[in-house]
Amino acid sequence: MIVELFFQSGGTLTALDVPLSSTPVTEVLTDAMDPGALARIVLDSLSKAGLYITIAVGLTLIFGLMGVLNFAHGSFAMYGAYIGGVIMVVAVTSGTGDLSRLVIFFGAAAFVLALMTVVGGAIEKKLIRPVYDRPPLFQILLTFGIVLVLDEAARIVVEWRGITPRSRWEGPFDTLPAFLSARYDVFGSTIRGIWLFEIAVGAVIVVGVYLFLTRTRYGLYIRAGSEDGEMAQALGIDIRQAFTLVFGVGTGLAAFAGVILMWDPRFGASVPLTIEALLIAFVIVIIGGLGTFKGTVVAGVLVGFIDGFTTWMLPNYDAVEFALVSAVLPGEWAIPMSSNLPEATMFLALVVVLIVRPQGLYGIEEVGGH
Amino acid sequence: MMLEVENIDTYYGQSHILEGVSLAVEEGESVALIGRNGVGKTTTLRSILQLTPPTEGSITFRGEDITGMETFEVAQRGVGWVPEERRMFAHLTVDENIEVSTPPEADLDAAYDLAYETFPDLEQFRDKDAGTLSGGQQQMLAIARGLVGQNDLLLIDEPSEGLAPLIVEQVSEALEALRAETTMLLVEQNFEMAMDLTDRFYLLDHGQVVESGQSDDVSADDEFIQRYLSA
Repeated sequence: MIVELFFQSGGTLTALDVPLSSTPVTEVLTDAMDPGALARIVLDSLSKAGLYITIAVGLTLIFGLMGVLNFAHGSFAMYGAYIGGVIMVVAVTSGTGDLSRLVIFFGAAAFVLALMTVVGGAIEKKLIRPVYDRPPLFQILLTFGIVLVLDEAARIVVEWRGITPRSRWEGPFDTLPAFLSARYDVFGSTIRGIWLFEIAVGAVIVVGVYLFLTRTRYGLYIRAGSEDGEMAQALGIDIRQAFTLVFGVGTGLAAFAGVILMWDPRFGASVPLTIEALLIAFVIVIIGGLGTFKGTVVAGVLVGFIDGFTTWMLPNYDAVEFALVSAVLPGEWAIPMSSNLPEATMFLALVVVLIVRPQGLYGIEEVGGH
Repeated sequence: MMLEVENIDTYYGQSHILEGVSLAVEEGESVALIGRNGVGKTTTLRSILQLTPPTEGSITFRGEDITGMETFEVAQRGVGWVPEERRMFAHLTVDENIEVSTPPEADLDAAYDLAYETFPDLEQFRDKDAGTLSGGQQQMLAIARGLVGQNDLLLIDEPSEGLAPLIVEQVSEALEALRAETTMLLVEQNFEMAMDLTDRFYLLDHGQVVESGQSDDVSADDEFIQRYLSA
């Protein structure tokens, strides 16, 4: 099939005939049902879902209770990645065994979680609290300002240590235990060990946050405060204290997610991780419905599968027409679209959800309130 | 004196809502706050709770000045609120609405018993989201929330609003029973109901107390009642 595409450059309209092969959707789906392909798609998707939920859950808790759209969320993840990475690189040597590496990792993750929870609590008390009674724009500008300060500070320190801030810091990848860095053959497809680790961590986070919200008195306060903060206060609940705790825990969880990302070759520690993590978190919480934990989990799984399926499809079908268009264009037009296709489909899902159900999958009309 | 409101002025933005309101509630008393829509009845309750803090005057509860305190601190001192339009936590179950209203140190099972013995109709909906209840059931739950909060003083705002006459009767009976247990400051548009449920009343107009007295001594036919309550 030939498709005629038109491009405008410097006032000149250029026509280009682009040959497109076509692969029937049924053929793609049939191939995806192959046990090896299916295993790869499912495990890759679930690992991404685990990561995405871990990244987004803190943001959704904060927005749900406080109505604050925290633009600094990605920066906290980036700090978690670097702090976790430093601990791993310093503590792990070539002679460190796999089990010890894992223990050090969890020690680092716990330290980062605790440290950033305290930092987040302090930020809420000293910076966010004074603007609660102002229009939401103030909170957005404030958290955006925090992003600029934190990212610049990270850039300065990282460059001072001789690490390139814009590209992934490779050092922490060497601290992965062999069984996590290894690739395994499942029905003829290659599976990375770290994927299984990310699935397990994601599951623990989901279960942990769910139990906290539904089985503890403080979780009940948070759910009540998310619905009607004023009424919660009139019942004797110190909602400001809950704000501090939730902002702290949300920050800690973002940083914890950063520690996981630091080990994942698909991400790694870098300053641009700020924007990567923030975009993922925003896509997930908007698709799920701002401020709903259930929505975040469902959206995380949904986006994980969209991403996982597209990632599998890319190398298998040079007839993924969208990608091919850029591949056949002459040099001046060529743009590396194919590598960004999974990300593009994530945003496509976001657009579809916003059109069909603007409040998100499980969104309620109004959240927050103070 | 359990509650003393002295000369409070309260604003919403630039709007001056309460102008020198004073009232008092004795321990064990039931007091009505009546008046037309928009005269400041709800704002008086919100001012006592410090949800809309007064800019002038003072509010003391059991001899302690609570003016300027945080709302949760006022609530923790034993001031409960049954708000207008119920304000259930719609996505929490009926049980969870009771639990969240029960002080942490209190016996939760005893709170459930109290709530469901007072309002047996609610028990069948224990695991349902409060948002799925009918208006009357929500009102019962709102009162039950105030009940289990172990409050010394209940501020009850328009409990009959929007309810069918049969339900109003049930709510009225529940409040009558509650009257024997706790001190109440009741805001109510339904004049007969308000007078039946209270010992004394304050009549508000344009943000000021214009009359007060014994509830038994007034009737809907009185001239001043006609003047201030008719639309």
